Amino acid sequence: MPAQGWMPAIRAGIAVCLLLAAGSTYAHSAARGAADFYAGALHALTALEHVLPFLALGILAGQLGRKAEPLLLVFCLALAAGATAALWAPPLPYVGLFNIFSAILFGGLVAASWSLPMVLCYGIAAVFGLSHGFANGAGMIEQTKPYLFVPGVALAGLAVTAYGLIVTDYLLRRQAGWMHIAAGVAGSWIAAIGILVFATSGAALLKA
Amino acid sequence: MMTRLPASPDRFARITFWLVSLLWPALALAHIGQGDISGGFIAGVAHPVFGLDHVVAMVAVGIWGAQLGAPAIWVLPVTFPIVMAFGGVLGGLGVPIPGIEIGIAVSAIVLGAMIGFATRPPLWVAAIVVGIFAIFHGHAHGTELPESANAISYAVGFVAATGSLHALGILIGVANRWSAGAKALRAGGGIIAACGLYFLTGHLISG
Repeated sequence: MPAQGWMPAIRAGIAVCLLLAAGSTYAHSAARGAADFYAGALHALTALEHVLPFLALGILAGQLGRKAEPLLLVFCLALAAGATAALWAPPLPYVGLFNIFSAILFGGLVAASWSLPMVLCYGIAAVFGLSHGFANGAGMIEQTKPYLFVPGVALAGLAVTAYGLIVTDYLLRRQAGWMHIAAGVAGSWIAAIGILVFATSGAALLKA
Repeated sequence: MMTRLPASPDRFARITFWLVSLLWPALALAHIGQGDISGGFIAGVAHPVFGLDHVVAMVAVGIWGAQLGAPAIWVLPVTFPIVMAFGGVLGGLGVPIPGIEIGIAVSAIVLGAMIGFATRPPLWVAAIVVGIFAIFHGHAHGTELPESANAISYAVGFVAATGSLHALGILIGVANRWSAGAKALRAGGGIIAACGLYFLTGHLISG
């Protein structure tokens, strides 16, 4: 079964997730030298405009089942590529709005529980991985070490999406009918939040 | 829809699930007050919860959904937040809808009457009725969106609070399984309609 081959990936995701959960608490004492790694991870994890789409993508992958595990790796690599690109590329003014749009798209797909063709899933994971990575990478300053910050961003993304995948996949396997509804409701909440923020911040940008 | 693997005793996944769920709250709570997640969330939760007219109508939506049963109870909690968000956008952009407060009071009267008479219209009729009211309610909450310190955490609070009120209504609606419970629900619908009438007269007298 090809899905088994990706078990190590998901285990790595969990390991990172656990590491980060503990790391955020002890970041100041034990992580000297790796500070920029945590800066990268927290840059993504402490902003709802990143965390909500990450979670929605994880839930979407969970709805698709274990065969969607490579999707998370694609997203994680795209995050790294986007964050790296921010080192050289000029700032993109609308990237934040584009990221909020991903909350609407991922949340809406979860709410409708459509199983998109995997090719399309890879496509949107790559495109929005790049945009989220770029927005985070733009947070680097002169003194930031990119070789620590970029993996921090990428692994934070992997952790959150893996968390969404594992929990959704686990709950949907319980075979209780309302689990499907719960997943759809989670997607619908994220899409609704995305619509509200997309419209109001879009209007604010147009006025400015 | 989608094929899933048969349920297997995946001990690793189970242990991980509990471990991660234990650790996650610490991560989430650690940043409250740093300025990113705070500054809007509480206001977002408070806005639907402290307006009694909203509370009554949202709980009524949940109860009616539970009364309608299978397709409605699935469709309603998934579509309502998205429709409400469109109303919220109109409010946030300052697009005026006349008689918002009256519309909200009328929503409690209509939904209460639907529960009271145990009306079971076709799904699309119920969806249109609830959808129109969702836009009214969303508009009222959305007008405060641009003023909040952090629009995204305000939106999170407001969507989560509204969804929880629906869930409360759906939970109350579980009583519909027993005949005495079904009667109690219908009486409750009458009370909800009476509350709506009370809100409406208040607006008509003061307005």
